[in-house]
Amino acid sequence: MNHKANILIVDDEAQIPEMFSLALSELGYKVSIAFNGEDGLQKVSGEKFDLVILDIMMPGMDGIATLGEIKKLDPEVEVIMTTGHGSMGTAIQSMRKGAFDYLHKPFKIKELLAVVEKALEKRKFNDITKAIFSTIKSEELLRIIIDSAVRILKADEALLVLMDTAGKPYVAVSEGLSGEPQKISRLEACSRILPRLSDDKGTSVVLIEDPHNDALFKDIEHIDEVKFAIMLPLIENNKLLGIININRMQLDEYFNENDMQRAKIFASLVNLSLRNANLYKQLQETQSQLIQAEKMSALGQLAGGLAHEINNPLSGILGLAQLVLEKADTGTQSFQDLKDIEKAVFRCKKIIASLLSFARQEKIRMEPVNINDVIEETLVLYAKQLELKHIAIVTNFGPELPPVNADFQQLMQVFLNLFTNAHDAMPNGGTITIKTQLAAPDPDKKEQLIVSLADTGSGIPQEILGRVFDPFFTTKPAGKGTGLGLSVCLGIMNRHNGAILARSEPGKGSVFTLYLPV
Amino acid sequence: MAKRILVVDDDELVRNYVTRALLSRGYDVTAAADGFSAVAIIEKEEFDLVICDLKMPDMRGEEVIRNLKTSRPLTSVIVITGSVSDISNPIHPIITVEGFLIKPFGINEIREMVEKILKVK
Repeated sequence: MNHKANILIVDDEAQIPEMFSLALSELGYKVSIAFNGEDGLQKVSGEKFDLVILDIMMPGMDGIATLGEIKKLDPEVEVIMTTGHGSMGTAIQSMRKGAFDYLHKPFKIKELLAVVEKALEKRKFNDITKAIFSTIKSEELLRIIIDSAVRILKADEALLVLMDTAGKPYVAVSEGLSGEPQKISRLEACSRILPRLSDDKGTSVVLIEDPHNDALFKDIEHIDEVKFAIMLPLIENNKLLGIININRMQLDEYFNENDMQRAKIFASLVNLSLRNANLYKQLQETQSQLIQAEKMSALGQLAGGLAHEINNPLSGILGLAQLVLEKADTGTQSFQDLKDIEKAVFRCKKIIASLLSFARQEKIRMEPVNINDVIEETLVLYAKQLELKHIAIVTNFGPELPPVNADFQQLMQVFLNLFTNAHDAMPNGGTITIKTQLAAPDPDKKEQLIVSLADTGSGIPQEILGRVFDPFFTTKPAGKGTGLGLSVCLGIMNRHNGAILARSEPGKGSVFTLYLPV
Repeated sequence: MAKRILVVDDDELVRNYVTRALLSRGYDVTAAADGFSAVAIIEKEEFDLVICDLKMPDMRGEEVIRNLKTSRPLTSVIVITGSVSDISNPIHPIITVEGFLIKPFGINEIREMVEKILKVK
């Protein structure tokens, strides 16, 4: 049998617990009894209780001491104290030790039941709070929020509406909706209330009684099924993110004052948890950036030492091959072989140069640079090659962008590498779209330039997207790529206190976004 | 009379091909495998140009060049090094060298640079 809650009664007078037990069991609670403090403790240590009703005056371990021990065993359990000696002193003492409330004997069963219900509701809220705050993954969090809304407000339907990137509302999670028409109907209702919540800056909880007779909603199909609705705004950074809509479908089940109070508390809880989840996400991003930086610097040190060791023998191979080449007859196999050796050395030289270009510890030459000029200049170098591959360039340059403090040559290197990748991703032609803009001024954030470079190529599979900036990671055929192009870009962006992000939809292309502080 | 060149590098392959690339162009080339012997040779003989590696055991190239430029300030110097970052590190605040080459470099690169420097003289 599914019980409403698990309750333990601890009292040394035999009849009292039996009487309570009877009344509580009738209401569907599961009740256990202990006749002294020690026995009570033993039961708490062996079983999970939601609530303990504890007598203060008991022989042996008294109620106050028992309360302290119980809270040590299970800090989350709610405890109601009962006492025949109504002294304020012991009552206050018990509250300080974490009791939920106290009752003076004699009291009516009705009084007990009221306190029990309140204590259990607090317990439920605590459980929900814990669930919401221990969930960091956003999809899961939304599901828990909606489940909790249904539980706390005894609702028939609940849905969470969010806005997509274009600002269009959609149902992210729902519970209790009987079908697609209902989903469409409730979403429409939420969409109509959105402007009102935005104007309020989402401070209020809106109660709608009988929406069918409300001018704002009356023409929405199926809305007559809803008798009472609550709209809770979801806020982040003072911006309205979405709505939680909670509905009851029975005429006599209106939301009372208590429900509204609960709804308000619930709304602030949800908003806090969303903020929490968001902060956690940011923390994770920062962490992965740190790990990436760590990898780069370790490799950089290695590369620096390695380059010197390799460049000496490499120089020997090149010079000696060329000395023999001078004496070899063109057209002979030896001549061709030596030419191949020479070519291989140049390839090695190129790899080492790019390895060093992000390993380099020396200072970069910072000067005020117009980002549009950098891109134009790079395009002058590369446009011909792109044209040959039938790749069109679309530029969408932001006007009057402020200059950034940067190394012109190094930024050119970044764009050159990105163009090369886009070029390789579109063997049959396509379009590269370059957009530059000043980030929308946000009071919390520093001004920055955003450059996005989108291609219409093969895209990057999701499972390798996280590795594209790793040194030596390449998808190009052996001998074609060094696996260092994007590592170099990342290294350069890091040195500029900027960032680079990769997004991709396989089959549709990739977008690389650069962020540079102004 | 043929111009005199001293090649200083601890790497045998590099020493070998640089020497031969210049010998075949008619220069009078001497080679040294470490800093100490280079300094000893410079004390006794005069050169028009010294081609010198930087990272060598016992005595680094910077030391050799400083020595040379103090005792024979008219001798030109080409630094050959395997590390790009050496370019930004001046040998010495008041000593300037005439040329820099990053390894790996080809025989014609070193020949062209030598020719250019010695022509000016």
